[in-house]
Amino acid sequence: MTTTATRNDDTFPPLTRSATLPIDVGSSVRARSHLAPEDAVNTASLPPRLNGFENNGLHDWGAESLPRRLRSKLGSRSRSRRRKRNWKKILWVKQSYPDNYTDQMTFLDSLQRNPRLQPYDFWPLVADSTVIVQQVCSVIVFVVSFVGIFTERVSPVAVVGWGSFATFVGWLIWDWWVGQEDEDEVLQRQNSHRIRGARHPRPEGGNASTVANTPSAASSVTNLGSTERNPSQANLGSTDRHPAPGNWGSSDRLPSPGNPAVMRQHPGGSATSLQSSTSQTSRNTTDPRDGLKHRPSAPLRRGRTSLRLSTIKSAVLIYFTILGLSPILKSLTRSTSPDSIWAMSFWLLAINIFFYDYSGGVGVKFPASLSTNAALMASTVLASRLPSTGQVFSLTLFSIEVFGLFPVFRRYARHRSWQYHIALTVLLVVGAGGGVGLILGERKDGTWPRRNGLFGVFVGVLIAFVAMGASSWWLIGLQKYKNAMNGPWDQARPIIISRRQWDDDE
Amino acid sequence: MSHRTYNIAMVSDFFFPQPGGVESHIYQLATKLVDRGHKIIIVTHAYEDRKGIRYLTNGIKVYHVPFAVIYRSATFPTVFSFFPLFRNIMIREQIEIVHGHASLSSLCHEALLHARTMGLRTVFTDHSLYGFADAASILTNKLLKFTLSDVDHIICVSHTCKENTVLRAALDPLMVSVIPNAVVSENFRPLNYPAEPPAPGAAFKQTPPAHQLGSNDPITIVVISRLFYNKGIDLLTASIPRILENHPNTRFVIAGSGPKAIDLEQMIEQNVLQDKVEMLGPVRHDQVRDIMVCGHIYLHPSLTEAFGTVIVEAASCGLYVVCTAVGGIPEVLPGHMTVFANPEEESIVTAMGKAIAALRANKVRTERFHDQVKAMYSWDNIAKRTERVYRGITGDISESEFYGYDERNAAEWSATRGRSGVRSFALIDRLKRYYGCGVWAGKLFCLCVVIDYLIFLFCEWWWPRDRIDIAADWPRKQLQSDDEDEKA
Repeated sequence: MTTTATRNDDTFPPLTRSATLPIDVGSSVRARSHLAPEDAVNTASLPPRLNGFENNGLHDWGAESLPRRLRSKLGSRSRSRRRKRNWKKILWVKQSYPDNYTDQMTFLDSLQRNPRLQPYDFWPLVADSTVIVQQVCSVIVFVVSFVGIFTERVSPVAVVGWGSFATFVGWLIWDWWVGQEDEDEVLQRQNSHRIRGARHPRPEGGNASTVANTPSAASSVTNLGSTERNPSQANLGSTDRHPAPGNWGSSDRLPSPGNPAVMRQHPGGSATSLQSSTSQTSRNTTDPRDGLKHRPSAPLRRGRTSLRLSTIKSAVLIYFTILGLSPILKSLTRSTSPDSIWAMSFWLLAINIFFYDYSGGVGVKFPASLSTNAALMASTVLASRLPSTGQVFSLTLFSIEVFGLFPVFRRYARHRSWQYHIALTVLLVVGAGGGVGLILGERKDGTWPRRNGLFGVFVGVLIAFVAMGASSWWLIGLQKYKNAMNGPWDQARPIIISRRQWDDDE
Repeated sequence: MSHRTYNIAMVSDFFFPQPGGVESHIYQLATKLVDRGHKIIIVTHAYEDRKGIRYLTNGIKVYHVPFAVIYRSATFPTVFSFFPLFRNIMIREQIEIVHGHASLSSLCHEALLHARTMGLRTVFTDHSLYGFADAASILTNKLLKFTLSDVDHIICVSHTCKENTVLRAALDPLMVSVIPNAVVSENFRPLNYPAEPPAPGAAFKQTPPAHQLGSNDPITIVVISRLFYNKGIDLLTASIPRILENHPNTRFVIAGSGPKAIDLEQMIEQNVLQDKVEMLGPVRHDQVRDIMVCGHIYLHPSLTEAFGTVIVEAASCGLYVVCTAVGGIPEVLPGHMTVFANPEEESIVTAMGKAIAALRANKVRTERFHDQVKAMYSWDNIAKRTERVYRGITGDISESEFYGYDERNAAEWSATRGRSGVRSFALIDRLKRYYGCGVWAGKLFCLCVVIDYLIFLFCEWWWPRDRIDIAADWPRKQLQSDDEDEKA
């Protein structure tokens, strides 16, 4: 830890004014072994900097005394004639300098290098990478259960049974969490309303809260969930992210800054497709809050019960839809050769891992639809390789649980508590490792698989740790190549504050 | 100093009949250079019905070469296919200097490469700003670095543009001159400004009368812009209702078309501003003046701009300018003609409030703007400064004068420059310069250059120089002496 910290200090010197000058570029160029464009320019034109125009502001490689002496010795006629007024960075006056004059005081003055550089720390980075590990592990678990079903070593009923049981338990826990959070929020809001409302009612609270909200959301996207690094901070962050709670009471339009997208979502919608069902479940996170706008907390209970009922209804609907569709899925890719199926599902699962929304907060509507769709397509394609309808049904349902619902739960667990998140990660790594071990092991007698499983767990944990450490370390190492240049030439980002207002009016 | 004239080829994808800033820049510059006694040809790609050779006013010859257009009239980059034709044109017209325009024009980049292979002097003018972050910029910057590694001199339209280009192509800042755009001020006269300049001496001190603005007179705000995101139309859409709310006696006139027009129309309908905001749709460049003179304030909410010719045009028409301080815009007009805003809705509303208050208080002498702008930006001046660049790269003015370089260090610094202070044409020196463009790119670029050189040798053998007819010259103009400020 300490070594990494010191190394960080080495790689990221504090950016001062002099560090933002491109002098750095020049000196680093010198140290490099291969040629760079700067070399071509500099070798060609180093000496002309020692001239009358004083243009060596860019690269003064410690040879400052030399040009100064030269200049004083030169004292050229042209210079004394030209040096009437200071050069200004304007175009509307004919200045007494040649057009290619480069003013060393102001040239590239407004250049900013790495203006938004956030040095990474090792351990937080490792902690953040657990999100990726979780996703990779759940993909592995899915593949393992497919192989198990495909080779008929695992009964499909067992897979889907345990999966559904876990999903049900997960749903209960999640529902409980959501309920708790809502109650907390109600309490908090009432308190703060009392305090704030007494102090000063603010009519334009809606605007203020949205403005305050955007940067925090943006920053949480840029640094993988850095706001939720530890539980206390996470809770703090979440309360911050619902800023100025007093506003909620004072303004009649309730802003829910954490998830504006969810609020927009229309209620209703049949649950025949997975998309609608998951969106509905995710809607649960906010619907109570939505309902709270007008009602006190007693009818809230009733609203949540009906929501639970509708969730169960959609679950049942999905269940029967898949049941009905499985015979069709079974023969879907019969004419395709197996190896193209393997290749295809590999790529689809890779897409799932690469495009998964790792940064998403709890309120995200239905994150990374490309990723989820790719995973579901992979599962469909894989399921169509299976010989019996029951197997197809099990695998498809299992895939929906793993790729559709499990991420919602994982996200909530991480938001809820860091310990839950770690526990879930460990569980997933162990499960994936053990599963791979079992699948790859021999299947003859009863003792071997267990040992294989243990070995797989061991190897899986080892790989997970090494990979997390190595990739974090690598990412930190890569930071020194980061060279973002910003300046007045960048397209400005317009700051529009009333847009939301009139989007809402629509 | 004897006045030497050159044969210059301007090469760009962007030229008339297509309207635009780069197009008119090339044309105006060419016209003024012809007036100074140079011979100018323009090489561009064929537009639909515009093929072959055309003559424009002043004896400018335009070659419309056949080329496939891919995107917004930029041609498809085929590195070598243009070479034989290009060589033929260059020899036929006895060109000495190739001047390319616009960094998105692949025709220009290819021409610069081939020109160096043929041993011609090259100049490049950059008209736009690019970031460094997105993929398109990275690709363009790499290509720009390729071409500009071996160009003799670069012209940028503003100091910000120069900084950007120096960074993008890793150039020596001394090789980059800043020569702004200009306006034809006769075409942008205020409303009741005499069309003919008054006779010298007779009306020497005559300034147009200050038109007083009463506190209840309506103020018209003009916006003429393509309605794209990067022109800041979102800011415009957000700030118009607030400006109109704060200042009841104002109205907007918006000219231009583009994808953001629909947003503006929505805004108008939502806020019921039909009688306050007028949208004119697309206008031709020659109508711009007639629209501008209807207004009092010109609002330019752009998000990025290398130079912003349009605000100079507006000021020339006697409009007070409210603009965002982005890119090169702060360099363009002095403070008494403009109110600067940040690219934020709030700031634009504030700045507009300031501008309206200043106009209402009659603090701004907008009637003087035209003469002031006329003195600031003229194509004559631009042509003169461009000519200095030409003379510098051909070695007609000494290196020490051009680069401010000291003779005594000659041996040390000019491994790659020739004795005259200009870049050496030797293949090995060129390869050295290209090699520095990057670990992989450098080698690729070297390969391209070598192939280009082989093609050149082949052309020399297959179509020998002496078999190519020399085109007859248009009678050259004599330069009226304008050396008064060269001595100053």
